[in-house]
Amino acid sequence: MKLLVCVKQVPDLESRFKPDPSGQWYSETDLAFRINEYDDYAVEQAVRLREQLGDAAELTVLSVGPDRVVEVLKKALAMGCDRAVHVQDPAPHLKDPWQIASIIAAYARSQQYDLIFTGFQSQDRGSAQIGPTIAELLGYACTTTLVGFSFADGVVTATRELEGGLKGVVKMKLPALVTCQLGLNVPRYPTLPNIMKAKKKELETVPVANLLQEETRIATESFYAPEKKGGGMVLEGDVTELVNRVYAILKEKTPALRQ
Amino acid sequence: MFKGLDYYDIDKDLNPQSRLVRDTVRDFVEREFIPKVREHYRAGSFPTELIPLMAELGLFGANLTGYELPGLDETSYGLMMQELERGDSGLRSFVSVQGALVMYPIHRFGSEAQKKRWLPPLAHGKAIGCFGLTEPDFGSDPGGMITKAVADGDGYVVSGVKMWITNGSLADVAVVWAKLDGVVRGFLVERGTPGFSANEVTGKMSLRASITSELVLTDARVPKENLLPDAVGLKAALACLNQARYGIAWGAIGAAMACFEEALNYTLERKTFGRAVAGYQLTQEKLVDMATRITTGQLLALQLARLKEEGRLRPAQVSMAKRNNVAMALEVARTTRAMLGANGISDEYQSMRHMCNLESVSTYEGTHDIHTLIIGKDLTGIDALDR
Repeated sequence: MKLLVCVKQVPDLESRFKPDPSGQWYSETDLAFRINEYDDYAVEQAVRLREQLGDAAELTVLSVGPDRVVEVLKKALAMGCDRAVHVQDPAPHLKDPWQIASIIAAYARSQQYDLIFTGFQSQDRGSAQIGPTIAELLGYACTTTLVGFSFADGVVTATRELEGGLKGVVKMKLPALVTCQLGLNVPRYPTLPNIMKAKKKELETVPVANLLQEETRIATESFYAPEKKGGGMVLEGDVTELVNRVYAILKEKTPALRQ
Repeated sequence: MFKGLDYYDIDKDLNPQSRLVRDTVRDFVEREFIPKVREHYRAGSFPTELIPLMAELGLFGANLTGYELPGLDETSYGLMMQELERGDSGLRSFVSVQGALVMYPIHRFGSEAQKKRWLPPLAHGKAIGCFGLTEPDFGSDPGGMITKAVADGDGYVVSGVKMWITNGSLADVAVVWAKLDGVVRGFLVERGTPGFSANEVTGKMSLRASITSELVLTDARVPKENLLPDAVGLKAALACLNQARYGIAWGAIGAAMACFEEALNYTLERKTFGRAVAGYQLTQEKLVDMATRITTGQLLALQLARLKEEGRLRPAQVSMAKRNNVAMALEVARTTRAMLGANGISDEYQSMRHMCNLESVSTYEGTHDIHTLIIGKDLTGIDALDR
């Protein structure tokens, strides 16, 4: 069984972002990069399935981007992926989600994967298009925002997170693609011995030009920080009323009180 | 997430493995250790519940090879120490002792049987080790040790007292240095050996999240096979210390960076006389000095790693890095403590904890002054300790 997990390297979201000189994306100066959080769940789930299937499975990790993305590929290899593919693209941010999905689909088509894992969205662009678009291009079944996953007898059973705290369970035959959400699992640490062992694993490099066949369909016009709004909200009144209002605000604006 | 200080863009020169090792240990410290450190520091306890995870991560004996050990390169190993000590000097001490002072001597001076018996459980955290060289009356002058071993039948009878022993009360095996016929030798003394006990040192105002003990050996019988065959002479014990000092030179940078980050964030947020404290010249000078000294320490450690990797490292060079970087970190911690004003004395902040810890780090593994004399002798050819 052939498995693929797609990962993106994103900046630490606690960074201070500044537009780059072109005004179309953020400047990378002083940014620390790491694996996209949702892709970390995807890698963990793919590695768990690889362990479940044993040597009957091979797990490939793929990333599109400049040389720095080798770091997230190495991390995924250290977590348990068998081989890595680096699609070399010095400026993936200038491509739209359609192009990126087409690039990955072009590679995946040649490899005939049975099951593909991705994060449900990236933390920086957040388009949430890559996974479903790859599935569509390949003609695979697809389900998104997984918070539970199991595989038996050729069937994927996925628990999905729905709005309003509801959950749903779906079953899919292969070939299929799933996108992973927070709550699916707790990703393992890449251990020091596994980091060292990962040095010996295959890392294939593919120039993006070999896979890119599509024109851009969406062009980013500008990238900017919203204007700073004035100070916070000041609530006044008696305690019971204040508590109710704060509770309502927290419930509406934050995930803190959702179950 | 902790970012550290990388003023000279050293990060880009590290290989991906080293960065991954650093980030793994950084994540571990951030997620598992930082939330607990205050509680353990107050209680005077080590978070032993983290030992299995530390073992799984491969932190023990990480730069040793064979016996399924990770065989990490020296830069990655150093970065691991840096991240651990960014958490707390006690955490780094635990890993230093287990790896550099227990697994290293067994790996380098032990018999094949000793290696097979001890290295796997020590690496897996199933056994904890400690290192007994210092005595109540012999610290900087370990050659004067009183602890003695006498051959007796098919073993040795060891007597003496060892003091300031990290992990002493937790240890399943102690690497004890004792004079046998006047020559310093290393012995593996196992927990439960009749005549051998460990008593925890209380009342410490430093390294509180670390266990420190006194080892008492009263005619403790050590079987013949527990003598480290190749550990002959004080130089064997000093070779272990050299490994540990290498880790300390890196570790101190972690403590300093933790404090620097605290000083920078605090002075940017805190306002006095109507503006951010960081806007004042006196504050900026302090921050600049800190950043410069940390960067200097990073470059020293990085070159030390290269020398060690290539096998051309001299002990006096390790002394220079330990001496400089620990003094640097102590100064950064003290300055940060002061910059935080009254808040600086609270354990809501970390600088005073690092400051107190670093007083020990400056003292153990060769005091600041002893390293001065080691380098002084190396430069002049004159041993200031010769009488």
